[in-house]
Amino acid sequence: MSEVIQKDTMLSYISGSVESDAKSVAIRAINERGIVALENTAFPTKKDEDWRFIDLKSITRNQFVTAEEANAIESGDISEHYLPEALNSRLVFVNGEYNRGLSSVEGLPNHVIVGNLSEHADNPHVKEYLGTITNYDDDVFAPFNDAAFKNGSFIYVPEETVVEAPIHILNVFTNAEKPFYATPRLLYIGEMFSKSTIIEEHIGLADNEYLNVPVTEFKMFTGSNVHHARIQRDSKKASHVSRPIAMLDKNAEYHSYTICLGAKLFRNDPRVIQNAEEVDFTVDGLVLIDGDQIADTHSIMDHRFAHGNSHQLHKVVVNDNAHSIFNGKIFVAKDAQKIDSFQENRNLLISDNGKVNTKPQLEIFADDVLCSHGATIGQLQDEEVFYLQSRGLTEQKSRELLVYAFALESVESMEVESVEKLLLNEVIKYTNRDEK
Amino acid sequence: MLEIKNLHAKVEGEDIHILKGVNLNVSAGEIHAIMGPNGSGKSTLSKVVSGHPEYEVTKGEILFNGEDITELDADERAHLGLFLAFQYPVEVPGITNKTLLREAYNTIARANDREELDPIEFEDYIESKLEVIEMKDEFLSRSINTGFSGGEKKKNEIFQMAVLNPVLSFLDETDSGLDIDALKVVSDGVNKIASNENAIVMITHYQRLLNYIKPGFVHVMMDGKIIKSGGPELAEQLEANGYDALEKEMVLNGEAQ
Repeated sequence: MSEVIQKDTMLSYISGSVESDAKSVAIRAINERGIVALENTAFPTKKDEDWRFIDLKSITRNQFVTAEEANAIESGDISEHYLPEALNSRLVFVNGEYNRGLSSVEGLPNHVIVGNLSEHADNPHVKEYLGTITNYDDDVFAPFNDAAFKNGSFIYVPEETVVEAPIHILNVFTNAEKPFYATPRLLYIGEMFSKSTIIEEHIGLADNEYLNVPVTEFKMFTGSNVHHARIQRDSKKASHVSRPIAMLDKNAEYHSYTICLGAKLFRNDPRVIQNAEEVDFTVDGLVLIDGDQIADTHSIMDHRFAHGNSHQLHKVVVNDNAHSIFNGKIFVAKDAQKIDSFQENRNLLISDNGKVNTKPQLEIFADDVLCSHGATIGQLQDEEVFYLQSRGLTEQKSRELLVYAFALESVESMEVESVEKLLLNEVIKYTNRDEK
Repeated sequence: MLEIKNLHAKVEGEDIHILKGVNLNVSAGEIHAIMGPNGSGKSTLSKVVSGHPEYEVTKGEILFNGEDITELDADERAHLGLFLAFQYPVEVPGITNKTLLREAYNTIARANDREELDPIEFEDYIESKLEVIEMKDEFLSRSINTGFSGGEKKKNEIFQMAVLNPVLSFLDETDSGLDIDALKVVSDGVNKIASNENAIVMITHYQRLLNYIKPGFVHVMMDGKIIKSGGPELAEQLEANGYDALEKEMVLNGEAQ
């Protein structure tokens, strides 16, 4: 006797249908591919190994609509969020929609492209690479972005070109009548020996519920170099599921730093794929959560060729009832000798009810590699608190200072001064929140 | 200034009693040394007086300028002018010496209705204290005790003492782990800070430190009590004959219980 079990798909939580109206053949093909995948892939449950610890209720209890249907309001003046270093290298997306008026890309070197993906859909690089880097088996979120995105960021840095100004991809989300979804998309092409800094930011301007599902694809040719900072300051009622992936050719360097401050539910699956010998990459993270926030990082560092350096420092502070999950996979293929990979997950629990799940996962098939990993879950040491207190600081101030110091290291790797300042303020806000 | 009366203390939440009736009086302008073998409770005494939450006072009281401070938190005691130089100073990566000291200085100033110092005023003030322990400017911008040598850590404790200008300081085994040069610098620092207005209590195992900082009063602690007090000659006697000889003598004289 056979039985057909009807499982939920991503579309079960979307009101109305997701259809492609893209004029570009390249975008339409990916939209359609995404729709097919969505219809045929079950939405994850706690029975799936990679979703065991995470509570997806803030997605599954909703019926998300488009921002337009939700009557999302306009962004108004958001210049307080502009970075002084990136005044003329900024793309702005409001609720996932490209906003030409708020964007400014005047200050870039010749032949560098920073623009709306749909306007560059005929660019041969877009045609060749868009949608080819993402690689998430049995996933519903990358296909959802595939199915629903209409525009996005296209960044192209030609051979031997260094973009000095950081490129700011600013995604803002506004208040709306209903929970809505947005699917920010980014394609980055770094030609041989090019170099740039990308600041990808997500900001919730109000306190509303929405679903933010970004996909970023980085194609890194020989010797190219990217510093990719990702700052997630979504509304504390939002759900954010992101799929950032980078593919590295020989001697390429990709350093990513994900800072998680906002969202009720944050799920981040960064992947870096070593596609040739001698690469260097970083997959760092800093998570500061409280209330009933959930932040889940499932990363993959995929070493497929010999001679690679990779580094992952994932730091987490958990307050109140918040819950952090970390699963860091390091793959080293059979012939990928001389890999030097380092992973560390440090968790600081500063409340009685916070929760941390951490799991390093090393799958190493080569025999001449150096791979280390470590995970710690700790509280502030009484002796540290007493030391500061004995100098006259209140217990609360002592604890704040120690949490601040814990988070500081990750903030200092931002390389862009205004971003470091912004994050220092966020860290202070997080640690000082009870102070009048 | 400090009156400790019949002080009993145990480890918080456990049945380990360490102080078993300590009596001690310290007045302004005095330097005291408390000596004793390992495990006699002398370090615990300094922690209990500073308000370490690991210990619970079960009996007796600690009066500071007439006020009972037994129930005060460590920071409240620091506001009154108490200071503890740690035996094992704690490393705090990410916070510079200067940041901690400015926060500490201004918190204490606020608690005493004194004027706070702004960053520029504080810079001048703190730099003027560097000579106390012969340290360079760069010392200020290093993370607290992080990567410091043993000697640097102890110097940093005395530097903090100089900046915070406490009324009463306990120096917990400040001499341990110091080579002769560092010991001289640290002792000089303490001697510069000592005045008629403040008081210092040194906790030490050895006579060595007392060659450089001359105490007016020496106390011997054993098994959670001060069993003998005297002048500097008591330290010399201990150095010559050891703690065992003293213990035997006390038993012979019927002074030990």
